[in-house]
Amino acid sequence: MKTRRARKWVRLGKRVVSHLVLILACAFALFPIYFIVITSFSTLPIASITAQVLIPKLSQFSTASYHAILFSQSPSFTSLLWNSTIFAGSSAAIGLLLAAFTGFALSKFNFPGRRTFVYFILLISLFPSFVLILPFYLEFAKLGLIDSYLGLIIPYSAGAVVFSGILVKNYMDSIPDDIEEAALVDGLGRTGAFFRVLLPLCYPILGLAAFLAFVGPYSDYALAHVFLTSSDKWTLALGLYNVASTDSGASNYGLVTAFAIVMSLPIVAFYMAFQRYIIGGLTLGAVRG
Amino acid sequence: MTGIRLENVTKRFKTTVAVDDVSLQIPDGEFLVILGASGSGKSTILRLIAGLEVQTSGHVYIGDMLVDDYEPRDRNIAMVFQSYALYPHLTVYNNIAFGLKVRRVEKGEIDRRVKSTAQLLGIDDTLDRRPSELSGGQRQRVALARAIVRDPEAFLLDEPLSNLDAKIRSSARVELKRLHQQLKQTFVFVTHDQSEAMTLGDRLAIVHHGKLLQCDTPEQVLSRPANRYVASFVGSPEMVFLEGNVASTGSGFSFVSGPVVIPIRGESRVGPVTIGLRPWDVAVGRTPQPGSLPGRVTGVERLGPSDHLFVDVHGAGGPPTPTAAVRALVRAYEYDIGDSVWVAFDPDRALFFDAQGERLDSMSVLPRRS
Amino acid sequence: MADLRDQTIGFRLRREWPAYVYLLPTILVLLFLNAYPVAYTIYISLTDFGTGGKGSLLSYHYIGLTNYVYALTTGWSTTLALVENSFFWAAGSVVLFLLIGLALATVLNQEIRGKTVYRTVILLPWAMPAFITILVWSNMWGYEYGLINGILHSVGIAPVDWLQHTDTAWAALFVTNVWLSFPFYTVVFVATMQAIPKDLYEAASIDGASGFSQFFRITLPFLRPTIIFVGLMGFLFTFNNFYPIYLITSGGPGISTQIFITESYNQAFGSLGATPAFSTAALYSVIDFVIIIAITVVVIWRTDLTRNWLK
Repeated sequence: MKTRRARKWVRLGKRVVSHLVLILACAFALFPIYFIVITSFSTLPIASITAQVLIPKLSQFSTASYHAILFSQSPSFTSLLWNSTIFAGSSAAIGLLLAAFTGFALSKFNFPGRRTFVYFILLISLFPSFVLILPFYLEFAKLGLIDSYLGLIIPYSAGAVVFSGILVKNYMDSIPDDIEEAALVDGLGRTGAFFRVLLPLCYPILGLAAFLAFVGPYSDYALAHVFLTSSDKWTLALGLYNVASTDSGASNYGLVTAFAIVMSLPIVAFYMAFQRYIIGGLTLGAVRG
Repeated sequence: MTGIRLENVTKRFKTTVAVDDVSLQIPDGEFLVILGASGSGKSTILRLIAGLEVQTSGHVYIGDMLVDDYEPRDRNIAMVFQSYALYPHLTVYNNIAFGLKVRRVEKGEIDRRVKSTAQLLGIDDTLDRRPSELSGGQRQRVALARAIVRDPEAFLLDEPLSNLDAKIRSSARVELKRLHQQLKQTFVFVTHDQSEAMTLGDRLAIVHHGKLLQCDTPEQVLSRPANRYVASFVGSPEMVFLEGNVASTGSGFSFVSGPVVIPIRGESRVGPVTIGLRPWDVAVGRTPQPGSLPGRVTGVERLGPSDHLFVDVHGAGGPPTPTAAVRALVRAYEYDIGDSVWVAFDPDRALFFDAQGERLDSMSVLPRRS
Repeated sequence: MADLRDQTIGFRLRREWPAYVYLLPTILVLLFLNAYPVAYTIYISLTDFGTGGKGSLLSYHYIGLTNYVYALTTGWSTTLALVENSFFWAAGSVVLFLLIGLALATVLNQEIRGKTVYRTVILLPWAMPAFITILVWSNMWGYEYGLINGILHSVGIAPVDWLQHTDTAWAALFVTNVWLSFPFYTVVFVATMQAIPKDLYEAASIDGASGFSQFFRITLPFLRPTIIFVGLMGFLFTFNNFYPIYLITSGGPGISTQIFITESYNQAFGSLGATPAFSTAALYSVIDFVIIIAITVVVIWRTDLTRNWLK
């Protein structure tokens, strides 16, 4: 038997170690982000990077990088933002529609061939998506869809269907069959029950699926890089890569970081605001398993 | 009018037979209770009537219409689910109005009907709330209101009281019965609770392993159960069974079970027979009565107004001789464990079951000569 | 029993046919945008499309398994390197994700002051679009102007040319990858741990189980399905995780950190101006796909992962 005193010390020690571990994890998580923020607000150019850049000095505070990014870029930031919004927005909308139908069919119907279909989409979804860039490119080149809005929106919306469809299916599985049956008895057919009862109940997960389907194209580089040749159709991701790969030593650090912040801000804000919700939705299958 | 009729209905799932050749006629305005243990197929019968399942064979009629090929929405029945299945995203008002809106009833009419139904059930002050903000009792009323407001051909209720606290449950029973008398419509009510069934039903349909065992009034089911399963499932405390044999004894025949020897009349078949007694038909006394047997109290279950007594009956020779366990319902706090008692039972009430558990109508206890 | 109206395919079809209508758009999308491209990729891998500058967009020939034979003979050293690198990259990352995620989740799952703040901060890397942060990380690993070397310099350590040596290049990749993914794993494990009934722990501590044995006897078995699930998903994802390698090491030095997916992309779209070697790109894609399927089938067959999917 340990004495009461000894046990108190053990508990205190455990608490100290726990906090140390967590502080370390937080420091690791934060330091690149902190670095981005600090750098984006400091004067340009920086001769060389040392740890000293991590200590902010008021005298070096400047929003010049933001000005440069937002107002004196070619192609203009607004054009990049507009293109990204078009690509990501329309892909998310199309993908979402398909995902809602897919989730409904897989969750609430027991049609002949259901099992085969699930295996089929499982198999298909395993094929590395980056690999599909090649056949897409060859196929779309023949169709003349390279360097067009449509040519990029099509593969983007397809990319989200399987994942979002399964997200919706898992969520619908958690809605008791009773509710749909009540609607059937109340006088609706299955389609009516889907639109008037099940779909409204799925709004939260559809919101999440839409967001995830938006983030994918929004931060895609690989496909856009291959498909978009004229810079007036460039997206934010291409713009950022362009800034980052312009080799001018440390002098473009401010630009890269300012760009990174502006581009990720809406996404981060959304993640942080709905974090509990997003994790809940994403782990519905995993945790229950 | 709008009764419900099942004709040789069978429902098979992959490996099991959930409903096995059930025929059932429910006249218009009747309150029928389908009673069975969990997994007996009772809910499946209800779902077959609603059209949520389709039978493997047989026919379902609502009114005089053959509805085998009708979707649930075309059967014009209302259902109250065990979980209530309220629409979580709609207010109470819209939950109740849903079925009317779907059927494109005119707006003023909807409003009038929703409000009067809500008033009838005493939930008119909750109309703006969401189901998640309601108590269990209120949810149950909303589910009922949603059914009533549509003025359907029949009401199907799937254990609607089982999610309520014990206290509310008995008042909800009374209210449901009152509602039925008011509406005068056909109610089909599924439950596993035999006392709920006894208080509510005009008739009870007892289901076991998918088979309809008996369909009759509560009184008949209690006093003339079709077989041993029904006899033991209905009635509380449960029926006492004495396994024994019919043997010929000199002048006639007797039922013999350990120390218990009872002269019987009727069909004289020799072989294993079980006798069934309601605990309230077993009389216990401190002194011997004609035909009574000595015994010892081995357990007492205090039920409040009365005690449920467990008695080992033995022959005149005392405990070493074979004993038989019986139970009796007696006045509270009259006896205690270890007491020596004399046990007798009302001969007219004893039921006989053959080896297969079927009740033997022809057999009864020979009246004592006094 | 003659009727059996509900047992026939026809009956099920009559009742369930709307499902096909709902699935139709998705089926079309999958056929034209997944199945067909996959098949097309497999076909290209059987041609001389772009190999050795012979083929072009207009003329290429079916050459059977020649490319595969090449990959297994003359090109074997490259193929082997890609296999080894892909596995090392995926397995190494997943092991790190799981270990770090479990450890942090265990710490975070206690009653501890500031829990919400810790969790929110830990989540930040996950909330940033990966493409952006990987670009920033790739700058940070730079020799001359990288932040990492800057920090080393301020504490008196000579700068390391991270991306020029195989070992340090892998280290840079793993550190970056852990940074990108540990938040998700931590939070998933915390969520799962919170679903463990508290009375299990209470019963165990009454039985005298220590913290460690509680972890191994209750927490870990309870987490098992989640670990298998996120582990497999993480492996499959990392096996084809393109950006970290493409943006940080570009597979270098040489091809010592190159994986199938990046090599395939490079062969097809890598060097501007040079003739793209489409058939080689397709070849590596197909090999990648076959490996992924084999792993998935084995894991699904050995565990009960599909339960949720095929309920």
